[in-house]
Amino acid sequence: MTRMTFQQALVAGIAEEMRCDPDVFVLGEDVGLFGGPLKSTEGLFAEFGAGRVIDMPISEGTIVGAAVGAAMQGKRPVVDLMFLEFLGLVMQQLIDAGAMHYYSAGAARVPLVVRAKYGVGPHHGHQYDLHSWATNIPGVKVVAPASAEDAKGLMKAAIRDDNPVLMVEHMALYHGVRGDVPDDPDWIVPLGKAAVVREGRDVTIVASAMMVKRAQQAAKVLADEGISAEVVDLRTIAPLDEDTVLASVHKTGRLVVACEAIGRGSSANDVIALAADRAYASLKAPIRRVAAPDVPVPFHRDLEKIYVPGAAEIEAAVRSTFQSAEAAP
Amino acid sequence: MSDGPLRNDTSLELHRLMVFSRTLDRIYGEHDGHWHGLEGEEAVAAGVYHGLRPTDILAPHYRGMPIASYAKGADLRRLFAGMLAKKTGYNRGRHRNDICGPPEFNLIGLYTGSLGPPVGYATGAALAAKIDGRDDIAVAVFGDGGSSRGDIHEAMNLAAVQKLGVVFVCQNNQFAISTPLETGVAGSVAARGQGFGMPGVEVDGNDVLAVKDAMQTAIARARAGEGPSLIEAKTYRVAGHFYSDAEDYRDQDVVQSWRSRDPIAAFAAFLTDQGIASAAELQAIEDTATEQIKAAFAAALADPNPDEDDLGFDTVYAAEASA
Repeated sequence: MTRMTFQQALVAGIAEEMRCDPDVFVLGEDVGLFGGPLKSTEGLFAEFGAGRVIDMPISEGTIVGAAVGAAMQGKRPVVDLMFLEFLGLVMQQLIDAGAMHYYSAGAARVPLVVRAKYGVGPHHGHQYDLHSWATNIPGVKVVAPASAEDAKGLMKAAIRDDNPVLMVEHMALYHGVRGDVPDDPDWIVPLGKAAVVREGRDVTIVASAMMVKRAQQAAKVLADEGISAEVVDLRTIAPLDEDTVLASVHKTGRLVVACEAIGRGSSANDVIALAADRAYASLKAPIRRVAAPDVPVPFHRDLEKIYVPGAAEIEAAVRSTFQSAEAAP
Repeated sequence: MSDGPLRNDTSLELHRLMVFSRTLDRIYGEHDGHWHGLEGEEAVAAGVYHGLRPTDILAPHYRGMPIASYAKGADLRRLFAGMLAKKTGYNRGRHRNDICGPPEFNLIGLYTGSLGPPVGYATGAALAAKIDGRDDIAVAVFGDGGSSRGDIHEAMNLAAVQKLGVVFVCQNNQFAISTPLETGVAGSVAARGQGFGMPGVEVDGNDVLAVKDAMQTAIARARAGEGPSLIEAKTYRVAGHFYSDAEDYRDQDVVQSWRSRDPIAAFAAFLTDQGIASAAELQAIEDTATEQIKAAFAAALADPNPDEDDLGFDTVYAAEASA
């Protein structure tokens, strides 16, 4: 085990895969000597050189496009897209990449990782959480780690996966979260598996990335009030680990889904639909959603605080599931 | 006709590809009114798609995808089956072979209808070859319409700064569906090559040897690791945008004037004039093309439709993560 930050864990995961697989390479804007935005590729250029850590012109669509083409040839490119706000520039390439394996009846494979930073936090800017868009693309996986351990393990799994994977990296976790991370190069955190990060009896809180931290804070407060909350960290948002979510909802009978994205069109809604479809009989209270309001992310810190759904909002949502249906807001 | 150092058998192969394309066009166009025919542009297709290695990557123009696939080694019957959405097609009825060739032959097609991104994919395939130290090249073809896409400008810039082995070809047929060249493209496409630091040449797209010559120069440069090139092959879309296009947006006299410059008839005359082939040999090429294409099409028509097995809900993701 090595204690490291979320950012160090992401880079360590890439470096390990680059050491054991010569097909893995990194491309993006300022990923070389500069070390990537927020040090997202720090140290890789020094170890692997310009041949495998390739600085790109400002051409996001074609950076991802070139990665798709290289992946079709058997390479395993890792694109640093800088910020999730740029997802709009690469959607066409992700739509194509997601379709290639299926449309070619299995002849094409696109082992591609696209990394993107986002989120309300200390970086103050580039906050948009647009990951839900990508969950609407067949064939694309969406991964959102919440801990340093998962950052490394999920990154390694994403690089080894034969599908296009969007890895969203919350900037509030980047340098602020530390954890003990396994050193075994064979260890990974498999994609498509959620984790119960806090066990509880009374209510299930489903979250991902920074919302897991907020959900854990809320669970602590709720415990003092006698409410035992179970926190499920999705880790992979698409494809969704339906079994883990359903098992938890069947057990607790209550569900609160928390996400930092705006509620309309959010991937959180799919978790809610899943429970409504397949766990309705277990539900003791209406499902509650905690999400950002349907407005562009504001800039001033005070406005940001009002905008972003925090632990207090999650607590309130949980409490409301213990009121009668009539009394629920 | 230009007279490059091409051997006679290459000339006959080029002619054969053009004849195959024209024959395929007619037989399939009669069946499917939405078919994007290639009539008038065959010299570009033959000159660009002929003679590539199996390991070279080709992102063809969607107009001419089947002949590009055939030139890369794909089976005619399975291509037709793919166009007809049959079970036996390369795509198992899941997608269209008319605009998307099978990737097992290193073809990059249109996985959605968006023009431009495939040029980026071809550029990335050339990046993979560079990283691997292979001298395989990528050929990326787009129309005068597609030349306005930012993706293609990005790809040319990226290929040039990375010195990638890409041959960019603009198949300029002077129409983007109904939009004529004058209102779609400012300036010269070939001249844009210079702006991206690569050779840019304009060739007569109705002269198959001129196209082939330009390709050989660009391919040699790409294989030598000297970087990308841009070729603008000027031709004319004698065909409608699709087979049953009413074409009320253009002057039929102009269409007729280009029909009289037919690249296949011109090359046939050249071949007989130069004593490369007799009229009887050329007729035999046509007869063989008709026979083979009719047989492949009839077989594909009789092939089974896809069923639930082909829907393959569980095959959207590639299953095995390779270690």
